[in-house]
Amino acid sequence: MRLHPLTTLAAAGSTAVITTAAAYLPLSLAVITAAVGLSARGGTSRRLLPAAAAILVPLALSLLVLHGLFFPEGDTVLAQWGPARVTAEGLSFALNRAAQLCAAVLALLVFSFSVSVPDLVAALSAKGVHGRFAFVLASTLSLLPAITFRLERIRQAQEARGLVIRRGLLHRAAAFRLQAVPLVSALVEDAATRAAALEARGFGGTGPRTSYRDVPERPWEPPFRMLLLLAAAAAVAVRLLLAGD
Amino acid sequence: MSSHSLTLPSASPAAARKRRLLEILGALAIAGTYIYLVLNQPTDITGGPGSASALIALSGFLAGAVLLIVAVLPTLPTSTVVLIPVALVLNIVLGQFVGSTLVPFYLDAIGTVLVAVLAGPAAGAATGALSSIVWSFFNPTVLPFAAGAALIGCLAGLAARYGLFRRFYLAPVAGFATGIIGGVVSAPVAAFVFGGTSGVATGAIVSAFRSMGDSLLAAITKQALISDPMDKALVFTAVAVLVYALPRRATVQFPFVRRHRVLAGRNPEQGA
Amino acid sequence: METATALAAGIRSFTFHDDAAPVLHNVDVSFHPGTLTAVLGPSGSGKSTLGRLLAGWLPPGAGGTLEGHLTLARTTLRFEGQAQDPRINPAQWGRRVGFVPQDPRAILSTVRATVAEELAFALENAGGERSAMLAAVERIAGLLGLSGLLDRHPNTLSGGQLRRLAIGCAVITGPEVLVMDEPFASLDPAGADELALLVGSLVRQGTAVVILSQAVDEALLAAQQWIVLDGGTVTADGTPAELIAAPQRLPAGIRRPGVQRDTTVEVSEAGARNNQADGQGAASGPVLEFRGVGFGYADRPAGGRKRRMGAGDVPGDQPAQVLRDIDLELLPGEIVAVTGPNGAGKSTFLRHLNGLLQPTAGSVLVRGRDIAGRPVGEVAQTVGLLFQNPRDQLFERTAAREVRFGLDRRFGPHEAEARTGAALAAVGLSGAADAHPMELPASGQRLLALATVLARRPAVLALDEPTVALDGDGLRFLDAAVRSAAAAGAAVVLVTHDVPYARSLAHRLLTLDGGRLAAR
Repeated sequence: MRLHPLTTLAAAGSTAVITTAAAYLPLSLAVITAAVGLSARGGTSRRLLPAAAAILVPLALSLLVLHGLFFPEGDTVLAQWGPARVTAEGLSFALNRAAQLCAAVLALLVFSFSVSVPDLVAALSAKGVHGRFAFVLASTLSLLPAITFRLERIRQAQEARGLVIRRGLLHRAAAFRLQAVPLVSALVEDAATRAAALEARGFGGTGPRTSYRDVPERPWEPPFRMLLLLAAAAAVAVRLLLAGD
Repeated sequence: MSSHSLTLPSASPAAARKRRLLEILGALAIAGTYIYLVLNQPTDITGGPGSASALIALSGFLAGAVLLIVAVLPTLPTSTVVLIPVALVLNIVLGQFVGSTLVPFYLDAIGTVLVAVLAGPAAGAATGALSSIVWSFFNPTVLPFAAGAALIGCLAGLAARYGLFRRFYLAPVAGFATGIIGGVVSAPVAAFVFGGTSGVATGAIVSAFRSMGDSLLAAITKQALISDPMDKALVFTAVAVLVYALPRRATVQFPFVRRHRVLAGRNPEQGA
Repeated sequence: METATALAAGIRSFTFHDDAAPVLHNVDVSFHPGTLTAVLGPSGSGKSTLGRLLAGWLPPGAGGTLEGHLTLARTTLRFEGQAQDPRINPAQWGRRVGFVPQDPRAILSTVRATVAEELAFALENAGGERSAMLAAVERIAGLLGLSGLLDRHPNTLSGGQLRRLAIGCAVITGPEVLVMDEPFASLDPAGADELALLVGSLVRQGTAVVILSQAVDEALLAAQQWIVLDGGTVTADGTPAELIAAPQRLPAGIRRPGVQRDTTVEVSEAGARNNQADGQGAASGPVLEFRGVGFGYADRPAGGRKRRMGAGDVPGDQPAQVLRDIDLELLPGEIVAVTGPNGAGKSTFLRHLNGLLQPTAGSVLVRGRDIAGRPVGEVAQTVGLLFQNPRDQLFERTAAREVRFGLDRRFGPHEAEARTGAALAAVGLSGAADAHPMELPASGQRLLALATVLARRPAVLALDEPTVALDGDGLRFLDAAVRSAAAAGAAVVLVTHDVPYARSLAHRLLTLDGGRLAAR
């Protein structure tokens, strides 16, 4: 049996927070290793690693260039070309910060790539904010592929009307208008119909809601989630207290 | 209380007060965090990877954004709630379209500004914050920018409220101003949470300022002031083009548009 | 037998915000339990507005200004168009009046991953017991023939299944009244029969079923009551027998069963000459040629399109080989209809005409030139293709600008002006030149999209399911436009599931089945 989605969310979230609070290179590296290992075991690494790389590689490169070459606060100069100074402090700042960000990002991505979205939505759909937030999350995830498909259909329809996209910023801006207008107006109109449908089906109500989907949960999971959240809060508090001294 | 009556009761003032309180708390959390970070930044960065300010930036901004969502989301009418996912997808898809054309902007707020113009500042702020939170499902690095995105949505809604979308040439001006404010507020996140920017091109600009001896926050703020206002001016213009292309019947269904006469009359003299 | 009314409305006027004229006026209707009522009217007559108003989908006040009254469950709500008017509670109203919109996809919540959960959505929101929900879903699925599909994702359903799911969502709360907007449009005969049976069993269970339609579908002959709506008001009502006996009481815009040949729009010689396809003089051979065309989707193109994440992947169960060895020659002035079952690859075939899809075998020649590798936008000068969904093609603020788009650059302002006027006149939209394309009724949108193609006077006119969503008047304009384009020397290809229509219009009838094109 898999874990309750809120438990995995709490685990990922508190891991990210604690890693950030600790700002300790070995811990960051350990979290990175654990995250990659977990996703490999869960069979999601093939999708997760490229997605993570697309985010993290430019970020890490940017950090390395920025602090590796320009770190006016650094003292230990390793090399110098004109205004660029490679300092040990700059490099270590970049390395630490990059590892910390990688750890947090990977921990959260392991969650989002492994969670069953319908289960998460059912778990969140209790009522009030949760229900509406769950709606926004689930609806976005299901509209995304549909709209990408629709944009492609619009492009085809417009090409069939004689639209040739030429190079150049102005041409592209014009093409953007031709394709965005039908897309947006259809989406706004669909949204109006969907709003009426949801209202008629009781979505706007404020009373208690129930869930058709059954998301099982082991008895120890709620206290465990509590514990994780407390640990994260404690880590933040400790770091802030230390900084205050 | 949900009743079985076929008609709705009128809204109660108590609920409105509670919601206003949460909104103010959210705004205070964001403003307070920003001020604290700006006042305290110089000592921190020299002390190595200063994660205390990262934590303050994260928790303050995030808490503010979450408070705003908690305040606003339950009060929005369903017609606005269903528009939010559409806005988020537009942020992503239209952002990608532009991204693929290699323009040096991100244009990732078109949907947010669209909702703000149609449904007002509160809805815009919630959409901005939700956009960051939901998008962080795929890319957790956008999560800390939730407050900045909420601010953009809120300012866009205010611009619409005070008639800046009634004249076509005023929209980019409003966007430019919004970009300045948004860029300045988001800069501490980039500086303290990421210690830099996520893009290589923007990173180069920051490097240039750093080489002149600027502090990290100052360098990133200056970089944001170069790219953000232009970016938001383009976004506001794109949204103006889109809302004027929508059929009148689709736009006037939004009470905000009707009440504040957000859009010019039936035949706007300017379209594209 | 006189029974209590389930739902009644007396609408003195209903006006959308910012509109000058009301869309509905002097509409008095009532619906009785256990009966079937058809509200018939041409496109733009106000049927959908009436339906949404009855179902609480267009709440007075928020959606527009209503003067009149609505009566549901012995409660009468009176509206004077004032701020202190009662506000409808759509959730409670929706439990008693179900509504199925024209596009069944619109009723889906987009947040439920299976058919069963989608059905249960309204019960979840009402806080129903889980065991009761399971039982209700079971029962409704049995009634609608969805039992085998309960675990499927709603996005993977076919059009007919989706229509049944939408009805299921509307009736799961046991409403006394069910309003359906154009439920028979775009259903094939088998799907229409299933739906008719379903309507029958709902009526027997005591539901008041109301069907809004612009065509006299066979199932509507069984109705107890017909209400004719035209220009936003009730122009006639009575039993089907009474109204069929007096056909002059049904406006011409309502499509009747069978094909009608009372062409009010004559194809004049002058019109034909006026529509002379561009550069037609030289062409004597085939204007379009398919030589051994085959097309197949590769299993997974290597390094090609990446799979998007998310549960709602677009349905795409394409068989590997869609088209096989197709040979076709189209001569100027010829009208060819291609028919075939759903999923036979008709749209795929059509997309080869202008290069939107490139054949994997063989070649497509336009005026003797292979179009492989030429940009679609360029081939489109010669081959005008009209898609099923007109809204994908429309982006301007007025109908006239829409038709005129791109003409100025090719023909100069004078010629562009003339062509725009002629094309709008050819589809009967001269009076709507300044209307917003998206505010035209469905039929008008299709005709406008047709006008954008006609204005370019392409040598080949290709139409995808042109009859869908057209009302009776629209159908006659389409007929006239196709005939006059052919008379002026254009070759016309139309792809349709409507075989009688195809037979009435085409010179040649072809069927596409199993990827092969055969004469019929």
